[in-house]
Amino acid sequence: MKDEGKTMQITVERTGGFTGIPVTKIIDSKTLPQQEAARLHKMMTEADFFKLPTTISSSPQPDRFQYRITVEQEAKQHSVTVDETVVPANLKPLLNWLMAQPAQPATH
Amino acid sequence: MISSQNETARTPSRPQGTHICPICCIIPPHMSDHILKHGDEKMQTWMMETIRRSEQFQGRREVIGNFALALSPGEKRRTVYDARKRETLPGKLVRSEGGRKSRDVAVNEAYDGAGATYDLYHDVFERNSIDDQGLRMDSTIHYGVQYDNAFWNGNQMVYGDGDGRLFNRFTIAIDVIGHELTHGVVQYEAGLIYQGESGALNESFADVFGSLVKQRSLNQTVDQADWLIGAGLLAPGIQGVALRSLKEPGTAYDDPMLGKDPQPAHYSSRYRGSQDSGGVHINSGIPNHAFYLAAMEVGGFAWEKVGKVWYITLRDVLRSRASFSKAADATISVAGQLYGQSSHEQTAIRKAWQTVGVIE
Repeated sequence: MKDEGKTMQITVERTGGFTGIPVTKIIDSKTLPQQEAARLHKMMTEADFFKLPTTISSSPQPDRFQYRITVEQEAKQHSVTVDETVVPANLKPLLNWLMAQPAQPATH
Repeated sequence: MISSQNETARTPSRPQGTHICPICCIIPPHMSDHILKHGDEKMQTWMMETIRRSEQFQGRREVIGNFALALSPGEKRRTVYDARKRETLPGKLVRSEGGRKSRDVAVNEAYDGAGATYDLYHDVFERNSIDDQGLRMDSTIHYGVQYDNAFWNGNQMVYGDGDGRLFNRFTIAIDVIGHELTHGVVQYEAGLIYQGESGALNESFADVFGSLVKQRSLNQTVDQADWLIGAGLLAPGIQGVALRSLKEPGTAYDDPMLGKDPQPAHYSSRYRGSQDSGGVHINSGIPNHAFYLAAMEVGGFAWEKVGKVWYITLRDVLRSRASFSKAADATISVAGQLYGQSSHEQTAIRKAWQTVGVIE
């Protein structure tokens, strides 16, 4: 609970998939309505995000997505790269919420 | 409980998921075989479902091939399921072979697209379904929420609805369906590893045969075909015509949200990074374009000659770690066997691989 008041910057990059088109979402918890920010913190705690391994992978399957989630919170930073087929159940709500946020325009 | 044919024939079909393994594991194979051959359609569907679940549970996929063969060798058998925005497979059965048209356009697109793909492989390449043993073609539509993807999961096809802002529903383009089913064919044949060049070849075979499914369903010659993958898939307002172009890799879209189509048409411009399993959806543009060039040079219907060379190469020659240059050599060699050394077809294929910079 002590992290509740701290702001977070989250970047999620989705690559692969049938389209092969990468999608990036950048979320700053400062800019979220209070309720959404609280929800985000709750999902982060449930996922135990900072303790997840940096890579969660399976043997590659055609046309599936891969996600790279990076969270910065004050001095802490952690990145997790996870294949769509092996997303842990406790990370799924966070990932779904992140992917439902508006996308960033393409950078290239 | 399944003690005689008459009893089983009267048993109403069960909603999926109510019986999973306890039953299927104790039905001896000869009995389930009998149900598949003589039960009514509902019973057959239920039995297939039961076997399928048991096969998933036990991780033994060869089981399903044997039963499929027992049921109807050489026949097209399709089923479409609705995941109803969840991510549980396969979902609720909504259409099976010979069943009535649905009011849901995605159901009919998945059904018809699987049919057109079966027909290309069967009528042109004499292949009996994905595994060449009559495997039932299962598709699930409405997978997930605003899911921007379609995939073959090793057993079946899965289609998302798209988010509506960037992408429409993934069944909208028949070549997407042919693409996904071809991943199944690749899995049963060359088994191209989904990483780097072998992965890009896996993608390219899926695009090539996906495009051939479309061309044949429209009865188009090489000059009439659009050579696009995913025409109609981009949502209104997105700047582009499709996801990929075999004719002009790198030109399918250029949009502020999606970026620009990154596909190269020449080996010297290949992507060398690690994203997308080493650029499998990027570098597939190179062999895609080689196929296009060869097909244009030979002319007529692309599936008849160059398509056949690509199919035989995939089925009989390539190994799982094949590189682009191995694929080039293999197609040239197969063209020589089919049409003669220095034939017009072989020359066209060699020239195509030279033009895209894969061989000298």
